[in-house]
Parts: sequence; C-alpha cells; structure tokens
Amino acid sequence: MKLSLKWLNEYVKVDVSVDELARKLTMAGLEIEGIAKPGEGLKGVVVAQILASEKHPNADKLSVTKIDDGSGTPLQVVCGAKNYKVGDKIPLATVGSELPGGMKIGKARMRDVDSFGMLCSSKELGLTEESSGLLILDPSLKVGTPIAQALGLDDVIFEVNVTPNRSDALSHLGIAREVATLLGADLKKPSTKLSESSTAASSKIEIKIEDAERCWRYAARVIEGVTVKASPAWMQQRLGACGVRPINNLVDVGNYVMLEYGQPVHVFDLDRVGGGKIVVRTAKGGEKLKTLDEKDRVLDAQDLLICDEKVPMVLAGVMGGIDSGVTEKTTRILLEAATFQPATIRRSSKRHALHSESSHRFERGTDVSVIPEAIDRLAALIVEIAGGTVLQGRVDNYANKKEPRQVTLRTSRVGELLGVEVPAQECERILSSLGFVRAGDAPYAGSSISSGLRTAASASSTSTWIVPQARVDVSIEEDLIEEIARIRGFDAIPPALPRGLSALEPERPQLALERRMRSALAGQGFDEVVNYSFVAPADLAAFQAEQGAIAISNPLSVEQSVMRTTLFASLVPNIARSVRHQATGVRFYELGRSYRPHAGGGEGSKPVAQETLELAGALYGGSRSWTGSKDADFYDARAAVESVLSALHIEGVTFEVLDSPWYHPRASAVVKRGDVLLGTVGELHPRAMKRLDAPAGVYLFQLDVAKLLESAALVPQAAPLSKFPSVNRDLAVVVPVALSADQVRSVILEVGKPLVDDAIVFDVYEGKQVGEGKKNLAFALRYRSAERTLTDTEVTEAHTRIVAEVSKRLGAALRA
Amino acid sequence: MNDRLAALASSAQSELEKAVTLDAVEALRVKFLGKKGELAAILGGMGKLAPEERKALGAAANTLKTELETKITAALTRVQDQALEAELKGPRLDVTLPGRGVKPGHRHPVSQTLEDICSTFARLGFVIEQGPEIELDWYNFEALNVPADHPARDMQDTFYVDGKQVGVTKPKAPGGDGVGEQVVLRTHTSPVQIRTMLAQKPPVRAVMPGRVYRKDSDQTHTPMFHQVEGLLVDEKVTFAELKGTLDAFARAFFGAKSKTRFRPSFFPFTEPSAEVDVSCVFCAGKGCRVCKQTGWLEVLGSGMVHPNVFRHAGYDPSKVTGFAFGMGVERLAMLRYGIDDLRTMFENDYRFVAQF
Repeated sequence: MKLSLKWLNEYVKVDVSVDELARKLTMAGLEIEGIAKPGEGLKGVVVAQILASEKHPNADKLSVTKIDDGSGTPLQVVCGAKNYKVGDKIPLATVGSELPGGMKIGKARMRDVDSFGMLCSSKELGLTEESSGLLILDPSLKVGTPIAQALGLDDVIFEVNVTPNRSDALSHLGIAREVATLLGADLKKPSTKLSESSTAASSKIEIKIEDAERCWRYAARVIEGVTVKASPAWMQQRLGACGVRPINNLVDVGNYVMLEYGQPVHVFDLDRVGGGKIVVRTAKGGEKLKTLDEKDRVLDAQDLLICDEKVPMVLAGVMGGIDSGVTEKTTRILLEAATFQPATIRRSSKRHALHSESSHRFERGTDVSVIPEAIDRLAALIVEIAGGTVLQGRVDNYANKKEPRQVTLRTSRVGELLGVEVPAQECERILSSLGFVRAGDAPYAGSSISSGLRTAASASSTSTWIVPQARVDVSIEEDLIEEIARIRGFDAIPPALPRGLSALEPERPQLALERRMRSALAGQGFDEVVNYSFVAPADLAAFQAEQGAIAISNPLSVEQSVMRTTLFASLVPNIARSVRHQATGVRFYELGRSYRPHAGGGEGSKPVAQETLELAGALYGGSRSWTGSKDADFYDARAAVESVLSALHIEGVTFEVLDSPWYHPRASAVVKRGDVLLGTVGELHPRAMKRLDAPAGVYLFQLDVAKLLESAALVPQAAPLSKFPSVNRDLAVVVPVALSADQVRSVILEVGKPLVDDAIVFDVYEGKQVGEGKKNLAFALRYRSAERTLTDTEVTEAHTRIVAEVSKRLGAALRA
Repeated sequence: MNDRLAALASSAQSELEKAVTLDAVEALRVKFLGKKGELAAILGGMGKLAPEERKALGAAANTLKTELETKITAALTRVQDQALEAELKGPRLDVTLPGRGVKPGHRHPVSQTLEDICSTFARLGFVIEQGPEIELDWYNFEALNVPADHPARDMQDTFYVDGKQVGVTKPKAPGGDGVGEQVVLRTHTSPVQIRTMLAQKPPVRAVMPGRVYRKDSDQTHTPMFHQVEGLLVDEKVTFAELKGTLDAFARAFFGAKSKTRFRPSFFPFTEPSAEVDVSCVFCAGKGCRVCKQTGWLEVLGSGMVHPNVFRHAGYDPSKVTGFAFGMGVERLAMLRYGIDDLRTMFENDYRFVAQF
C-alpha cells in the first residue's frame, strides 16, 4: 500500500523525520519497504509566466520568449513548443538545474540567440511517459513557486508492506491511527458534514439483501444533479501518487474514499438501476455478467451479486459491471458502501482470477461500523467536486448485525507470555490509543483463575476490551498482548536463553549415518548435488519408472511436473549437463527422497506418500593425470558402495547379478545383506542413456538409507588381535569364465576353516594362456590362528586340501 | 710365515683403500678372509711348524684377522657413506607434479548450511525431527491456523497433488472438512511441528529441517527450497526466551558481533509474530548493497505459538506456551558463501559444487 505523507498529515501531525517515521512504523509491524520523494528531482524548476513570444530570427521551428520567473528581471528563453499563448504559466528549468532525465540546464546559445533556461513538458519533468508541448499550469499558481510544491509533488510516498491480518492499515486513516498512537498525537477525522435536500433517499431506492450470510450490511445514498468531468488536479495527483489511475470525478472520489477509509465504495448511475432497486443475492448457476474489464463472466452459486430488479450489475466486492457504471451523461447517482463476508469475496476473486483494490480489502475483512461515516464522506466529497444535491438520509440495510468482540486481558498473562512485566496502566494506555474501549471490570471467566481465589489485586489486573471493528485480526488475549508488545517495541523485551534442559537426548542415529556416508563418498571423490524433487515425465520414462509417479496438478512446467521415483532421473541429467560443459570426469551423489504412492496413505498419521530416503550416485569418465588416466567403470561404482558400507561397518554384504531397466544387464548388481536389499549398482542402461542424451560410460548406484540404518554398526565392537604371526600363500586356479570370484572364494574360506583368515583376489586373467572360456583367478590366502604359531606342515597340508577341494567342486585346474 | 702375514696386512690395507664399491669390499673380504682366502692359505701351511711356532703364528694370524675385519668394516662404512652421498646428490624429483589418487569431493552449500544450522541448535538441546514432504492440507495449513479461504494462503503459493492419483481414498485428516484432505507439497516445514506435537507430550525442543515447495520461480525464488524450523514448547516459555535463543543462534552462526532486531509481523501460526533481522554480515550494519543500505538482513520468521495450533496438536494452551521460528537455508547459504544467484544452487554445475 502506498502512503502519502502529505495526506497522512491531514489526520495526524507528523513531527518526526521521514526516516524516523519509517523506522517507527517498521518497528510496529507496518514495514516500510520503500520511500519515494517524487519532487526531489525537480529542484530549480519553478512556475513561470510567458510575457512575450516572437519567432526566432534564424529558425522557423523555434520561438524566442520573454519569461517572468519571479526574480523581477524577465529572462530570454528559446523554445521549440507551439502549444502556448502569451500569459500562460509554464514550468521553467532555471540555469543550473538538472532534470529527472539527467539533462543539465545551462546558459545556451541557440542559432545566435541566448537562452537562459528551458520551458518544460510534463515528460521532461518525469511526470508522464509521453507529452506534447509544454505543461500548461493552473493560472492561479504564483510565479516563482517551486514546481514540486505547485504540483503537490513535495510529498513522500511510503511503500507499506501490510501483512494480510492488518486490513485496518490499508487506508490513510488506519495508518494515521497507528501513527497517532506511536507519536502520542491526536487523530483528526475528515469532515463528513452534509446538507441534504428534503426529499428522502428512501423514496427513490430500495435495498434488499437476500443473502445476509454473505452480505452483512448495505448502505446507499442518492445524489441528483452531478456533473461528470475530470477531477481537480489535487485529487488526480493524490490518486496518482498512490498508484490509482484517475478516470473521472465520480470514480476518483470513490477511490479516494477507499484509500482514505479502507472501505471500498461504488457509484451507480441511478438511471441505469432498474426499478431503483438494489438486490443483493447469490448468482444462479450459469448467469452472466460483463465486468468493467469487458470480459464476460460466467457465474456460479458461490458468487455474490449486486442486481437491480432484473439483472446483475456488480460482482459484489470484486468488480462492477460495464452496463451500470457512471458515464459522461450521468446526473443521478446511487452511492454504495457495503460489508461482505470475506471468504465469499476471496472465492469469487480467486475463481475469476480477478484481483482488485476492492477485493483485496474485502477478502481481508472490512470495518462494518465505518459504513455510515464512509458513505457520508463519499457524498460530501462528491458534492464538493461534482456538484449536485444529496437526498435526505442513508438507506442502510444492516441485515446481519455484528457486535464488536470483547476480549479479556490479564496483566499477569502479558508478563507470562512476553517474559517482561508491563504495568496495567501502560497496557491500558496503548489499547485505548489504538481505539480499544474498556468494557468495565467484567469478571474474568477463564479457566486458570477460579473465581473463589480471585483477589482484589488480580481482579484489578484483569480488564475486558471492546475491539474496534476495523481490527478484524484481534479476537483473543494473545492478540491484545501482541498489540501491547508491538507498540512498546520488541526491543523493550530483554532476551533470555531458554531455561535448562532436564535431560539431553541422544543424537538420532540417522544423523551420524548421514555424516559418515557423506564423508565416505567425499573420500571417493564424489561432489554433492541437490536437485529438485520433481522432474520431467520423460526423464522417469527413460528408466521405465514413470508408472505410479505422483503428478503435480498445477506444475510450473512439464519439466517439473512429477515427483521423482528414482534419483537417477536427476543425477543422469546432471552428468549429461556436466559433460556438455566439457567435464572429463564427474562424480556426483545426492541424499534425497524418492516418492511413490502407498496403500492407506494419509490415514491417521500415515504419510500421504511413501517417501524413501536414498543415497544415490553417478559417475563418469575420469580426470586425466600423469599417474595414469582411467575412465570410471563398474568397479569404481562398486568401490563407492563399499566405502559407504565400510564407513557404516555393514558386513556380510553380497553383490548378485540383477536385471533392471535402469542398468546394463551385463554390468549391474543388487547389493544384499542376507535377504535385505540394500541397493543396486551398475552401468546405466544403454537405452536410458540414449533417451537422456547421456554419454556412454555412466555408472550408478543407489542405497536405501533406512535399510542401511538397520544394518549399520555405528559403534563397532573391538575384537582381540592375534598374537601369532600369519603365513601367506598364493593360490591360482583356472576356472570357467562364468564362475564368479565369490564362488571360488567361498569354497576357499569354507574348506580352509579355521586356519584361513582371509582370501583376497589379486589377479584376474583371461587370454590365450588359459584357454577359451576360461579365466585365471589368483588369491592371496592368509593363514592365522588366534591360539598358536602355525607350523609350515599344517599350513601346507591345509593349502593342499583347499586346492584339491576347489578343483573337485568347481572343476578348476591349479595353475601351473 | 710372519713375513707372509705382514705382506698380507700391507696389501690388504692398500687394496681396501682403493675399493670404492660394496661389491669390491666384499670381494676383498673373500680374497683375504674367505675359506679359500689368503689368510686361510697361510694358516694352511702351519701344520709343518713346531708347536711353539704354531702357537705364536696362530696368535699373530688371529690378531691380523681381527685387524682385517675392522678394516673391512671401516671400508664398508666408507663406501656405504660414499654411495649414500652420491645417492643424495642425484637428480631431484619433480615435486611440482600433483599427488596420486582421488581428490576428495565437496559438500553442496545448502546441505552444509542446513547441517550447520541444525548442529548450532543441537548445542542448545534441540533434537531433529523430520516429516513428509507430500502432505495433507490439514497438516500444512488448517492445523497451523490457516483455514481455507484465508488471505494468508496467498503468502504461500501451493503445489497440489490429486489425492486419488496418489491412492489417498479415505484420508482421515483430523479436520475432516474436505479441504484439509487435499494433498499438497508442503509449503513449509511447519507441518512437522504438528506431527511432532501429536506424537509426543510436552516439553518439545526440536528443529525441523527439510525441503519445501512453493509455486514461484524467478530471480529470487525457486519452486523448491530448504527450511529449518524450530519449536520449543514447555510451561511458561516466553517471548524473551525466543529472543534469547535466536540471538544466541545469530551470534553462533554469523559471528560473535552479530546483532538481532525483532520486528512485529504476521504469521497465522504465531501470536505475537516477529520478523528477525540480523546485522548485515557484509558491512557490520553500516549499510551496503547487500542490505540495501539498511544495515539489516531479514533472515528469520518467528513468534509465540498460536493457541489454535496447540489445540489442533492436542496441547492445552492454558498449560503450555511455546515459540517457533523458521528460516530459509538457501538465503543463509548465499550470505555465507557469497553466492549471488539463487538458481545456481540447483543447476548442479560441477564447477559450482567443486568450490565448496
């Protein structure tokens, strides 16, 4: 909301600086987001009068004028405009001044004629976007007056951020009330004095409210004999400064009263109100109304209408109809000031995507008690500006009477909630100043003080307040406490650390888990990414993961329209993008959720969707290095998984082959611990690669964090170390290619029990030397006992037994 | 014989002095002291001597042997030293070549900031609570005192999800008015407050980090961002404690000289409500481009929990009070790391992430 300081000054004397006023309002909850001083750029521009004008001797398009700038000595100024006559008053930019566009005015010589200053158009003064010719000023203005003052531009316009609860502050009077409280000044209300004719308005019009649930109050007045024309300059200027476009005097006065009182009003051409009858009713389904913006609106039973005896005229509280508004020919008018149910206006405004100054106020709640005053003010101003005679009386249909709320305040509660005692007198001073009225010492009916225990002291610190009806936001004790706190200033509350804890809870294990996973992956060279949770359906389809994906009903774009079912739909595009930006090697991981529907979602406290926290990674290529450059492959992805498992001390994990549309079937594995699926790892499926425009050689992994948490040993337990030396022996076997290293290793470990401590694959070889369809696997075996030093004989005996069993069970040949 | 011993001693002396390699010294040891060496050859002829002579010669030979061994050891030490000296003077490595192995990865600034915010509050005894991102309207709005058709809903443009499509057929949102059963992407982490209070008795002292969603996308808004909210509920919790807590946080997070400023504001779920400004971290409050010359940065929303929120969460507002606060993680991360453009946070350019 734009607030004019000059306007504000009509209701309250502001005797502090602009910055101080802004600070006070901000610190009271009406945040000043901007301060504009429109007249500031017009220093050195004054009202001047054209005394004489002649054609320039050397230029057809120029004139040489004699100008009175109030200094007593006429100035010679060369001018290119033609739209003036001698005697006109115009703005003169004097020598030494600078115009808002940045033009510096100096003494000039134009085609051999001296020119002392420049006569200005409204565009040159920065007042309008376009203009033709000089700005011809009001002849009553005094020569020499600074132009900013003459045009009412010597103002300060505050941009006030009014929070949705404070509809009372959507007006100059409302903010004036606040300022009066903050400055301890008096509030002066505008005059609403009227002289009425003897004809009763009620003889000309009738107000019928059919839906009192939605329309609480509707008041009207009638004025006859008005003249529609442009508003006077001061009003146009004031509306313009507050961001409202001037239209004609009747519409402008309506807007003026809205900006003054916060009460939206409407002016009808009474001759276009069929039967002189106003009917407020809900719309019938399918009913139509052409609104002022020339759009045909199809209405439904949610919409509230202002109708005449036959047809709808206005979409109540939102926008007028095009057929009932005032025109240039209008002479008889009906003024409306009404109160509507806020939710109704909000629904209509939302449904028709029509947001107006009027709906903005109504949907936040307006002051039902201000109606008589606002409509009288409207009538008084119209008579002043557009002439005419006000018929006698308001026709005021207050169909749904709203009593002001009463709220009880315990001074003790103020201290309890704020942490600082506020004396009862101060509470009273603040509330009274804000327009709250003491309802007398009504007994407090709250639960925490029983009436039997109430002492004289506690009774005196309890007061009941009648809430001004403009303050739609105040309904409970905490609201009153907030009023007291914000007017005193939050600075007046001393900070205190919260009182001590009775116990310290252990950290959630998941946090430790997350930290360890992150540091394990950092050690593997993975950079963390954070992606949007929603992706393009096509990105899920590339993984055949679009089935059941949760769609957003109102997405911003199709690229962000479905919740991801796999983090790969984010990570693979991350990789592809990096490669397009010339990355040779990338390793990314993300710790985030995937989303799927699940049965019974939303029942009780059950989440709507199944949200699974996943740790997923993607890697591609490698950085080039003098020590050797190798592109990432399956075993780098597996190493990442292993580093995470190792950091969490998860043991007994197996990697088994996997068929999944995510992965290349020849290079992918499921990560299991017993029957629990911890995750998957593998090469991106070539089809997904193509669809996502990803390079070849992208490897992926994903792990289910909840499953990891179940298996993790965050505090591993120590085992005693063997005091005895180990014996190392190598074993190389030639086996069919299809046989896995794990199959061989498990035989070694089983047969070698209890002497074989570990068996590590240290070489894998396929080639001519071992024959077609075969491979050589070399294991380093470590023999060790916890009880004694092993003898060479027993190790040899065990090793021989292992060789024999491996050959026998797996058809392996011991490598020569 | 003694002459031969003397000759051996003298030739050994001169030959050892000439030896410059380990191998040469070793060869001389074999030549003089080996089983078939010169000393052995001399001693081999002792059988022909008389016992006294043999005894005397044996003693002389042993003396010589000891002497030779000492000399050989000295020669060994000398050539080893010479070899080491030579090795030490050899060509130097190119130490400017980079080290071998994988370079450590980097944390995303948002997740790092989020973790740091949470651990700062952990020092004040706050535990971490998390909750669903796809949420019923009731938890996201109604329970937080934002009924349907309330203008406060405009403060947070909402993404909706078709409940039927998700399989939500019979949601039992506690409100039960139909609107609360709509499915939204949570617009703030505040629904976790409600879930936390519904699940446990007071006192509550928790922070709630996570992703939130608003239908808004421009220079300064992304449709997804992160929040950390905090909630402290107990008997007689005061606004003064809210101030103290956030004051402490600001100093711990932004630096010991940071100041806070509390401004009245409006949030439907708190009463009174306050915006919290922190003295500008760039100009220390003097006024600069980042703080738009105000000296203050708006970083937090906060307030005393509204009694209606307590009622919805099953707490008795006459028995407990509490405060809540919330902050946008991206904003803090941008201030902290000097990131100008919010949107770079989610573009995940490898050059961006590698900086942190």
